[in-house]
Parts: sequence; structure tokens; C-alpha cells
Amino acid sequence: MGRIVLDQVSKCFGDVEVIPPLDLTIEDGEFAVFVGPSGCGKSTLLRMIAGLEDLTSGAIAIDGEDVTEVPPSKRGLAMVFQSYALYPHMTVRKNIGFPLRMEKMGQAEIDKRVETASQSLNLTDYLDRKPGQLSGGQRQRVAIGRAIVRDPSAFLFDEPLSNLDAALRVGMRLEISEMHARMKTTMIYVTHDQVEAMTMADKIVVLQAGVIEQVGSPLDLYHKPQNVFVAGFIGSPKMNLFSGPEAAKHGAHTIGIRPEHTDVNTTDGMWEGRVGVAEHLGSDTFIHIHDTGLADMLTVRITGDIAVKHGDKIFLTPQADQIHKFDAQGLRIE
Amino acid sequence: MAIVAQSSKFSTYGRPILAWGVGLLFFFPIFWMILTSFKTDADAVKPEHLIFFTPTLENYLNMTQNYDYWRFARNSVITAVSATVFTLFVSIPAAYAMAFNPTRRTKDVLMWMLSTKMLPAAAVLYPMIFLAKGIGLYDTHILVIAVLSLINLPIAIWMLFTYFKEIPKDIIEAGKMDGVNTWGEIKEILIPLAWGGIASTALLIFIFCWNEAYWTVRLTTVDAATLSKLIEGNRAPEGLFFGRLSAVSTAAVGPIVVLGWFCQKQLVQGLTFGAVK
Amino acid sequence: MPDRKLPRLLQAPAVLLLLVWMLVPLGMTLYFSFIRYVLNNLRHPEWTTPSPSNWRGFGNYQFVLNSKDFLLAIQNSLFIVCSILFLTVTLGILIAVLINKAFPGQGIVRVLLISPFFVMPAVNAVLWINMILDPVLGLQGIAVSGINDVVDGLRQAPVLGSFFSLWPEFEPISFRATQTSAIAVIMMVTWQWTPFAVLIFMTSLQSEDQQQKEAAVLDGAGTWSQFRFLTLPHLGRPIAIVVMIQAIFHLSLYAEIEIVSRGNGNKNLPYLIGEFANNNIGAASATGIFAVILANIVAIFLLRAVGKTLME
Repeated sequence: MGRIVLDQVSKCFGDVEVIPPLDLTIEDGEFAVFVGPSGCGKSTLLRMIAGLEDLTSGAIAIDGEDVTEVPPSKRGLAMVFQSYALYPHMTVRKNIGFPLRMEKMGQAEIDKRVETASQSLNLTDYLDRKPGQLSGGQRQRVAIGRAIVRDPSAFLFDEPLSNLDAALRVGMRLEISEMHARMKTTMIYVTHDQVEAMTMADKIVVLQAGVIEQVGSPLDLYHKPQNVFVAGFIGSPKMNLFSGPEAAKHGAHTIGIRPEHTDVNTTDGMWEGRVGVAEHLGSDTFIHIHDTGLADMLTVRITGDIAVKHGDKIFLTPQADQIHKFDAQGLRIE
Repeated sequence: MAIVAQSSKFSTYGRPILAWGVGLLFFFPIFWMILTSFKTDADAVKPEHLIFFTPTLENYLNMTQNYDYWRFARNSVITAVSATVFTLFVSIPAAYAMAFNPTRRTKDVLMWMLSTKMLPAAAVLYPMIFLAKGIGLYDTHILVIAVLSLINLPIAIWMLFTYFKEIPKDIIEAGKMDGVNTWGEIKEILIPLAWGGIASTALLIFIFCWNEAYWTVRLTTVDAATLSKLIEGNRAPEGLFFGRLSAVSTAAVGPIVVLGWFCQKQLVQGLTFGAVK
Repeated sequence: MPDRKLPRLLQAPAVLLLLVWMLVPLGMTLYFSFIRYVLNNLRHPEWTTPSPSNWRGFGNYQFVLNSKDFLLAIQNSLFIVCSILFLTVTLGILIAVLINKAFPGQGIVRVLLISPFFVMPAVNAVLWINMILDPVLGLQGIAVSGINDVVDGLRQAPVLGSFFSLWPEFEPISFRATQTSAIAVIMMVTWQWTPFAVLIFMTSLQSEDQQQKEAAVLDGAGTWSQFRFLTLPHLGRPIAIVVMIQAIFHLSLYAEIEIVSRGNGNKNLPYLIGEFANNNIGAASATGIFAVILANIVAIFLLRAVGKTLME
């Protein structure tokens, strides 16, 4: 069980309000991802749920019980830190067993649970090593192991993959997703990487300057961004956003079109421009286009390859039903 | 490498010779003291026995008889060890709190603590003697221990604060998530992790206590007098007792110098409060 | 939930102890500085116990300001401290640069160099003033008379003798009595604290950015330019720290002066206080308050300047 409800939760550091009062509900078994640019308050929010940061106002309830004044370890949550935060003076076995030892659990039970956890994380060979002798990925597993053994009602992840190299990150991402599918425990995951958010989440919470910009499933956010910020933040490469007469034609202040929703032609189309850099990935090609008169640069993504080179003239046609329209306040117009 | 090639002549001959010269020059007074300690008092002042003399252990053997060395040494050990233990006992919790639960005033508190170190001891000497005599603690171990602890407390707190700050905050927070209470945090995480730092703090505070010469000389007469007092009391032998004075001085500083050799690396980090690494 | 009370509770003993340590004696010093208070006075036995009825107002301060020793003591205090700071920093940098690069026996030289720092000040003073600087029996005396003997011998020599007979008889310097005793104090403290500066500068030099230096070489910087524009700025912070820490220790310098000269000629403030305190506690306390003011002026400058870099 792990239904987490935030009720008018806010946080001030001194006179600076980093999180204005906000409401949020994370359902039992859900994989929720807090995503946003650095400094948006996502980590602070997570730490408030964990109990590592106190609330300026509001209340947090876990499974209907108010935990606002409950110390971190009594909330039934487990946390995985960005730096892994392993105890460097303890072996892997001691690290994983530490929370259980603090609960005054019997040694036999501790051993059993550490054994089970380390088997599921492929750590059995490393149990008697110290964290300093492990690779980044192995340390990450130990940190997860230390969270798992407690059998928490929810897992909290604070940018757990940002210290790993790219290849390892993809692997760990899958493992955490699989772990969630298997355990069906509530997970809250903080990241600045929208790819992680899109691939792992059941529910994404997009934050900016402490304010929730949008809550929804990954595809909700992709197809129906509620405002310009979410439109620009979710999706890679970024959505092309521009204002001006071309937007006015569509009855909007700002319009947006995703790179993958633009057709490209070398002979004719709606907009004309000049090819800047073309990035050939093999499966896709990203073309950066200048001199369209719409924005400094537009990006388009085409499947496969196309024979264009720097300075070529090029024509673009947006897919009409994929144009996102926003009003002067930056809010979506349906 | 071109840089090395340019100055190779200096690197091969000049640098080692110059460096050894400087090193020996700085060590010379200590060497001279040790050398003199093996001369008889009479030989010690004779130019013809400057270097060539018959070494003798008599100065060391007569140390007890001449100076009552062991009584002073015992007092030094008692007061320095107790003061070090007491200082750590008070400073570890304080440094822990300041490193991991800083408030807006923590910086000011730390600065203020350091500024108490700048209070000229002489300015408050007489009131201290007055107070100490008033409560009957003058010339007691307790008084010396108390004063040594107090004058070293700011340095100890600063050093420990520096070491503790190097422990990632995440680890302490992980501990909090894992259900550690404050005492557990200090015992299970802080002390094992900062063990090296705590040890070098202790070592340095011990050295400072051992070498302290202002308060220990002024606040004691006989019962609690330390080695500083012993040496200070025999400061002007007018050349009569160079040999035996050298021996007792060597015995007073020897252990500390050797101890110092072992903690010179940590000393830098500690005394510069981590600002120089 | 971070508990706000517990951290305060943990700091409390240290803060309270230091507060009491600072305020109680300082308060008493302040009080004594405003009353007539002496240890012995046959005509006024009532002055030998501290009491508000012996109020003297700023009389003690006037007495101290008018005493010829006071200005001299302040001058001496500053002269000694500033000289030591200048010498230790300069020598420290030079020696650190010298021994920073690897050479045979580097480790041993380091150990030799650092040793003086751990010698207790009382031994330091006794050792220098007797065994080394004594004008007759110390190495200085022996060396000077040795030179004189050699010159004497050469005077008898044919041809050259007339040249050497023009040489004066060398006089050994007494470091006990006159202003030269300040020089002795500066010498022995510099000997003790230069190793400290060397150790810190060396540690700092080791963290110097080597790529930056290589870039400078490619940019055509010579050895001196590298030192002047890269190494010296890099040492800025350690220099500030060395100055601050030494100032903390040297402003209350006492043992060395006591042992060297018993204050003949070169009283610094702490010494003057000690001298007054032999009888006139009121005047000693007033001097103490001046010393506190002086220390505070220095402290404000130093702590402001250095505090920031330390706190980063």
C-alpha cells in the first residue's frame, strides 16, 4: 500500500518561496515521475515527502495517515540517492542490512532478507566488498537493495541514474521499470531527463519554479501539452514554437509543431528555409533549418535518410492536425 | 618535456643541495640540543669539545635527581590527555550539529568561537588567578585541564567541522531514512567515517596542550606544574647546566616531535580548516 | 523532520563554556580596570581587596597611557608580529617552491623541516638564547671568538699581517638585554613557524593546475612569469590563512619574551601586563583592556578577510 496525498504543501527557504502551495495525489502502485529543469523544486518536493525537509505549510498523508510530523524512518518509505549515499565503511552486506539492524530485527531474518535482495539484484558475489571496490552500476544496485529490504510502502528515487554513463543508464532504467512491474509498489522518481520520464512513468508531474505545470500520462503530455512550457519540455528534439503572423493565421498567439510532425520537400511546401546542420543518425535525420522567417531555427526529424547539404533550399509542411495552439498566456487552445 | 630540460642542471644538482641545506639548517638547533644532551655540563661550554667529546648518558640518568623530570612529565601527560579527551567530548557533538544542521547563525557562531582564540590571555590572567584561588583550584590538575580545554576548544571545533563537512550530507540523510537516531548517527556513521579526522584533531590538540606555556606556567606552582613550567623555571642557567638542560629539554620535546612527524599531512588540512588541500 | 532543538542542545555545552570563558574573566578585568587594586600597599591596605569603593574611573587608563613603557610595548608587539609574519611567509614560499619538486631524500628533508614546529615554546626559547645565541658560551660566542682567534693568528703572519691588523675585534651580540632581544624573539619564532608556512604552501602547490602551467609555457611564459602570474595568485588563500593563524598565536606571544629577556627593552603588551600584575592589578587590567582592543582591531580585519574564504 502506498497512496500519497499532498495537501496544500508549500516550502519557503527564508523569504524565498520555492514551492507555492500545491496539491498532488499519487495512487497506490503508481510510478510517478517528477520532471523539470534544475532548480524547479522537484528534489525539494521529494525530500519533503521523505521527511528530510520540513513543510512550511500543508500536510502529507500516506495511506490516509497524516505523516507531516512523522520522522523519515517512520514513514515506511525508502529512498535511493543520486550519490547512492552508501556507507563507505560497511560491506555491501552491512549496507543492505543496515535499515533492518536499525529496526532491531533478528540477525537470522536480516541475513535472509539481504540474501533475497542481493539475489534479485545480482549482488551475491559482492556482498563482502566495500562500496569503494564497486563500479557505479553496482553501487546503484546496492542502494536499491538497501531500499528493497525494508519492504517500503513507496520508493523514492532522487535522480538515481545521473551519475552513470549513458549505456549503463539505459540498462538501469529498464531494470527499475521491471522492478516496478514485478513489485507493484508506489514509486516516485525525480529526474531532469524527459526521456527517463517518458519511458518509465505511469504519471508524469512537470514542475517549473515550484509550480506543477501539468500532471498526466506520458502520451497525454506528448499529445496534449497544457501550456508552452510543457510543450517545449517534453519531446526530443524539442517542439518548434513560434509566434507572429503565421501563428495568428491559426488563431493563436503561439503555435508549436513537433520535428517529427513536419513533412520535408526540396521542391515545394508551406514554409521555405535553408538547411543548416543535418545530423544523420542512420535511423533518423535531424535537420536544423534557418531563414524561415518564423523562428531563428526550426528542427525537423525525418525517418531514414535524406540527401540534403548545408545551404540547400528546403520546404516544410506541418501536418495540420498536429499543430499545437496556445493563447497569449501560453495556455493550450483546443 | 621542454620545461624539465631547461632547468635540468638546477634540478639535478642545485635543488637537492639547496633543499638539503635548508632542511639541515632548520633541524640544526634540535640536533645541537640532542648533541649537547650527551655532553657533560663542563664539556658543553668548552669550544674544544664542540664536536669531539666523550658521550655520556649521565644527564639522562640524573634527570630525576636534577629536575624531578618524571613528576612534571606525569603532570603533562595527565593534563594534556585529559584536556584532549574533554575537548573532543564537547567539540564532536557541537561540530556535528554545526556541520549537518547548520542554521543561518552557524557561520557567525564559528567565527565568534575562533575570535575567542584571539582574546589576549594576558588580559584575563589576573582574574583567572583570582578566581582559581577563590574556589581553591589554583595549582590543580582540574584547573589546568579546564583551561587547556577551553583554549583549544575553538580549534578543535573548527577542525572537526571541516572534517565532518566533507562527509556527504546524503549519507547522513540515508541514515535518517534507515531509522538512525542522533546518537546512532554519531556512533554508526559519523565517528567511523571521520575517524581519521578525529584522530588527527586529537593528536594536534594533544600537541598544543603539551606545548602550552602561558597558562600552565601562571596557574601552577608545584602540584600541577607541567614540563613547560619546568623548562621555564630553568631558563637561565648562565652556561652552568647546558648538558643537563639539553637532556631534559630533549626528553620534553622528543615524543611530541616524533608524534608530529606522523600527523604532518593531517595537520595541514586541520589547521587550515580544510581550505588548503 | 529535522529537529531544531537537538542541534542546539549539542552545541550548547561548547557555546556556553566559551561564553563563560570569555565573559567572566573579561568582565572582571573590566571591573578591576576601573578600581584601585594593588597586591601590596602599606599606607592603603584597603586597596588590596577589590571593592567598588576604591573606584578610580579612568585613572588606571590614564596611568597606563602616561607610562613610557606603554607605547613602546604596542610598538614592540606590532614590530614582533609583523616581522614574524613577513619572514615566515617569504621564507615559507621560497622553501616550499624549492622542495616541492621531487629530489632524492625529499621525504627526509620534509621531516627535518617540520620538526621545529612541534618543539614547545619554552624549550625553543631556552635552546636559542642559551645554547645558540649566548654571547660567551653559546654557538654565537664560540663562533665569534673563534673568528677573532683566527684573525689574531693572521696578524702575526708575514705580509698579510699588516692587512689583518686593520680588522677590528669582532664583538658578540648580547640578545638578552637591549632591543636586540626582540630580534632574538623574532628569530626563534620564525624558526618555529616557517615550517608551518612551508607545509601549508607545499600542500597548496601540489594542487596547482599543471595543465594551466603547460598552457602558460606554450604561451611563452618563463619561470619567473609562471611564478608571478600563476603560482603567487594560487597561493593567495593559503597566505591569508597562514597570516591569520599566526596572528592568533603571536599576539599573545609570551613565553619566548619572558625567557629571553625578562622584558628588558622589548616588552610587548602581554609582557607589560605581566609586569604590572606583579603589584598594580588595576593598571594591569587597564593594559589588558587595551590589548583586547588591539586584538579586536586585528581580528576584525583578519577574520573578515579570511573568514569568507574559509567558509566557502
